Amino acid sequence: MMKKIIICCLLVLGFAVSGFALPQPQARVEQMVDSILGVLQNSGMNAAEKKAQVSGRVQEYLNMQSMSRRTLGIHWESATEEQRQRFTDLFVRVLEGTYLNRIGDYSGGTVKYLKQRVKEDKAIVDTAIISAELEIPVQYKMIYQGGHWQVFDIVIEGISLIKNYRSSYGEIIRQNGYEGLLALMDEKVLAMERP
Amino acid sequence: MLLRIFTLLFAGYFVLVGTVFAAASQAQSSNSQGAMTLASSEQQDDLFSDDFDADFGNGFSDSDATYKLISDPFQPFNRGVFWFNDKLYFYVFKPVAKGYRLILPRPARVSVGNFFSNLATPIRAGNALLQLKFRDFGTEVYRFVINSTFGIVGLFDPAESVAGVKQRVEDFGQTLGHFGIGHGFYLVLPIVGPSSLRDGTGVFVDSFADPFRYANLESIEYLGIKLLDVETRLSLDHETYEGIVQDSIDPYLFIRAAYAQRRLAQVGEETYNVNIFEGPLFDGDLLNPFDWFGF
Repeated sequence: MMKKIIICCLLVLGFAVSGFALPQPQARVEQMVDSILGVLQNSGMNAAEKKAQVSGRVQEYLNMQSMSRRTLGIHWESATEEQRQRFTDLFVRVLEGTYLNRIGDYSGGTVKYLKQRVKEDKAIVDTAIISAELEIPVQYKMIYQGGHWQVFDIVIEGISLIKNYRSSYGEIIRQNGYEGLLALMDEKVLAMERP
Repeated sequence: MLLRIFTLLFAGYFVLVGTVFAAASQAQSSNSQGAMTLASSEQQDDLFSDDFDADFGNGFSDSDATYKLISDPFQPFNRGVFWFNDKLYFYVFKPVAKGYRLILPRPARVSVGNFFSNLATPIRAGNALLQLKFRDFGTEVYRFVINSTFGIVGLFDPAESVAGVKQRVEDFGQTLGHFGIGHGFYLVLPIVGPSSLRDGTGVFVDSFADPFRYANLESIEYLGIKLLDVETRLSLDHETYEGIVQDSIDPYLFIRAAYAQRRLAQVGEETYNVNIFEGPLFDGDLLNPFDWFGF
């Protein structure tokens, strides 16, 4: 009898806990991907319209603050608040320019969701982009903040976007200083945004 | 999309690996043995473990680290070669690939690629064996048998397209990495592209498992075949390298970081999420082609 009660208690507790569980990170990634694919697959829009549409959509799913901090690593700590803000603004535009330039390359392909792992407020969602000839594994690293799961790193075929930027920007900072990096980013952003 | 940039490494530029390597590697491998033992396993940290916590720890704890992915003591030299390769790419390889695209339709070029890939089986199978990955070895042998027969001398890939058995990418650089040998240092090789002391040596060693080496070809013919292989891959690529050059502040640094990460993922493949969706590995049932179609 005692055993039954305990089991019942556990069950109730279990439900209660799952009721409070955070929303699913994978669902959030699906939402993001569907939203973007919806634009890319819309044959009624030209490239410029697609760019404009995608541009706004991506950002709400990314945690730019976290991405910027991780990209700068130790250099984040030593930067002033104003420098951090300038970096974050430029980094947003660099990332945006980079993926917007690739939009034209999209030639079909779907996304398969493979697995999600959650630990406290962090999650890893494994997906794969499937197209005619390629299967590309894409992993989203996410953090739960402000009531949403937000992406803070994307790992494509084992290559972490953030680590790549951290490694290259770190070296640029070592050679040209923080202001040097910002100047180079500024230049790049202007070049990318030129029509 | 972002992923385009990253597919570069193997699709566009780095795929030049496994090509004309003779001169550069011969000079280099002669003095590489001593240095090889110095190569540490500094890169082999948490990325190797498939452990859930470690995976997270890796993603979160390293933000304070100055991330040194690969050492690059010969950067001025490497940048010189990088510059040379860049010119070579834009003025020679790319124009040729464009012409090639006009002459041969895509499916035919895919088949040419399959053909070369099938013939490179000894490299993948041999390295799987060296790493004691017997299932991967079986997978490669299986793919070779099926594709060489049903796939008409390797022009088609029914092992994957029908049976769903995917290629297992292995090379000698990965074998060395598997046994704990680090990159040594980063090396940009002429024509070949991003490499390292370890991986460059690996390409040289692998070239001994290349069937073309034993086909009694004149060196000009051998060179021609290797160029065809490279151009085929380039012709199937969608301007990945151009994307990197266009989008990054310093393409040299960007490619170096991506190369180091990519190789780390290949060596420490347990964490590598590609394994999650891989098709069936070699298995008794797969031996029966009727099984593929559900007969």
